[in-house]
Amino acid sequence: MNEFQLIAYLPILLMFLVAAGFGSSQVILSALLGQRKATKTKLMPYECGKDPVGSARERFSVKFYLIAMLFILFDIEVIFLVPWAVVFRDFVASGNAAFIYIEMMVFVALLLVGYVYVVKKGTFEWGDRARVEAETEAKILARQERLAAIQVERKAA
Amino acid sequence: MLINPIFALQALPVDVNFASIAPELIVIIAGVLVMLVDAFAAPKQRWLTGGISLAGIVAAGVACVLMWNDAGTGGVVTSSFNGMIVVDQMRLSFTFVFLIVSALTILMSMLWVEREALPAGEFHSLLMFATAGMMLMASGGDLVIIFLGLEVLSIATYVMAGFRRNDLRSNESALKYFILGAFSSAFLLYGIALTYGATSTALEGGTTNIAVIADRIAAGTAIYPQLLFAGAALMIIGFGFKIATAPFHVWTPDVYEGAPTVVTAFMAAGPKAAGFAAFMRVFVFGFPLVATSALSIQVHAAWINALVVLAILTMTIGNTAALVQKNVKRMLAYSSIAHAGYALVGFIAAGVTLDITKQNDAIAGVVFYMLTYAVMNLGAFAIVMLIARGGDRRTELEDYTGIGFKAPALAFALSLFLLSLLGVPLTAGFIGKVVVFRSALDPAVMNDYRNVMTLLVVVGVINTAISAYYYLGLIVVMFFRERTTEWRAPRVPASVAVTLILTLAGVLYLGVFPGKVIDAFRRNAINVSRLR
Repeated sequence: MNEFQLIAYLPILLMFLVAAGFGSSQVILSALLGQRKATKTKLMPYECGKDPVGSARERFSVKFYLIAMLFILFDIEVIFLVPWAVVFRDFVASGNAAFIYIEMMVFVALLLVGYVYVVKKGTFEWGDRARVEAETEAKILARQERLAAIQVERKAA
Repeated sequence: MLINPIFALQALPVDVNFASIAPELIVIIAGVLVMLVDAFAAPKQRWLTGGISLAGIVAAGVACVLMWNDAGTGGVVTSSFNGMIVVDQMRLSFTFVFLIVSALTILMSMLWVEREALPAGEFHSLLMFATAGMMLMASGGDLVIIFLGLEVLSIATYVMAGFRRNDLRSNESALKYFILGAFSSAFLLYGIALTYGATSTALEGGTTNIAVIADRIAAGTAIYPQLLFAGAALMIIGFGFKIATAPFHVWTPDVYEGAPTVVTAFMAAGPKAAGFAAFMRVFVFGFPLVATSALSIQVHAAWINALVVLAILTMTIGNTAALVQKNVKRMLAYSSIAHAGYALVGFIAAGVTLDITKQNDAIAGVVFYMLTYAVMNLGAFAIVMLIARGGDRRTELEDYTGIGFKAPALAFALSLFLLSLLGVPLTAGFIGKVVVFRSALDPAVMNDYRNVMTLLVVVGVINTAISAYYYLGLIVVMFFRERTTEWRAPRVPASVAVTLILTLAGVLYLGVFPGKVIDAFRRNAINVSRLR
């Protein structure tokens, strides 16, 4: 067994430094060089279209879930590319270059099909049509809730 | 440059053989095509996606038949992808059953998506992916492939169960199925992990390859043999959930009742058969009896005894609970639990038969049973769907009161399916039971298990007698009760009519001339179900 040597962990320390330096340099640079146009939305703590003050149990659009879900989906699938890239050289050495290349291209093509599908199905449609649909749905839901409340009142009475 | 030694080890020659997964590939390509067509084509083109799916299934069926013919002459390898995929009699016969189930489901669903104004393209592509998952479960020679197939199947089925998304019952069904299904998948995965750990040897890590697992148990080189029992037990629970054996059956009635009838029909016929395929692959071939190995004898005895208890419980609970049901879909759900119990008898028979030809016959018996069950079950659910009308509103027993002479064709067809489910001679269900029970009573069964197998068959026969009460009860309700309220016979659309004709023909053909199909599943002594 090798003895513990702190110097062996130097690359990790360097990585920490690079990461911290990169993060802070970006913030400082944009503060120095960037232009500022303060609007009301931009000054909010979280600029995601939601009011940060008030009840947390607000109803918000299901589209947020869709975006989050798709993000996770594509994010995780892209992770498969990393081990593929790591072993690629070994596969080339063993003469299976064409096989492993085509396999990954098929995988990427399948991802593309999924992307085309969600685009055509209007997942990223945040325009007027989507808003009208969402508002109608919200109205229907609100009406149902009111009816339910009336029924509860009647039962109580 | 430094090469990571672990990754360098992985770059072994890859045993690629696309011909050995041709049916799976075709079904997946058809599913992707359906997705693309659904994205680009105008709405209201429901026949298009259904047509592409059917074409894909027919093409996959042709590929399956070609492999079948080649397999006898040694043209196709027996395993590929470094043991991940197996080509044997059991895999090809099960693939055949899955393709029939999917084709009939598509035919049934054409009307349903139209009437309920549901997205047909999504339904058909999900169905195709589910089919691909089932096929992978039957063809996997490695626990990982089987698990992947199971997940592909399950995730598609969760969505399909909740497909009528405005209906609370459908949502409840999907949620229950999802939570319990995920739970059971976790059991299965933990079982796989423990088996992997248990089979590590002094020199190598563990294995998930079923053939290697069997080798290491037989050779006694596994260094943690005790873990194997825990692993096998957890896998029994995981698969037990999927095929709905008591006491892991509790989700079945609720999920089957709430899911759209088409999906219920599919779930009862397809995923159950796929569960049996994977279950048998793992246990009959992964934990076989090898007389020279003490560990193998112990593991074998343990899982056989566990399954015997499960089979008795499943048959009895399924049938007795079905007696008191007031909802037809719930009743058929309990009947499907009971049928899983009958099929388990054949499975155990395959496990306790050492002669490889006889074992192959027992496996063929289970496949034949799943085929007969699929045909009669899909037929019965097609009629339940028609009578239930839009939104699956009329599924109570009283909705069937006195419809016998108002819609005679439908009522007679449903009666035939029910008689077949009961197992009356000259129907498919009878031959299915005979084949399964015969392999249980075969002289090739090991001496130690003769009595147990006889007990199982006796319990099966008693349960068949019990089940007569509720199957015949529904027929009595249809024909011998007066209806006081207005009732009009539902129209039978062309696609459902085709489904009904096919399933009726299937029930009678399999019931009267079963020899050809059974022989095809059994094949011959050279080409049997095996791992290598």
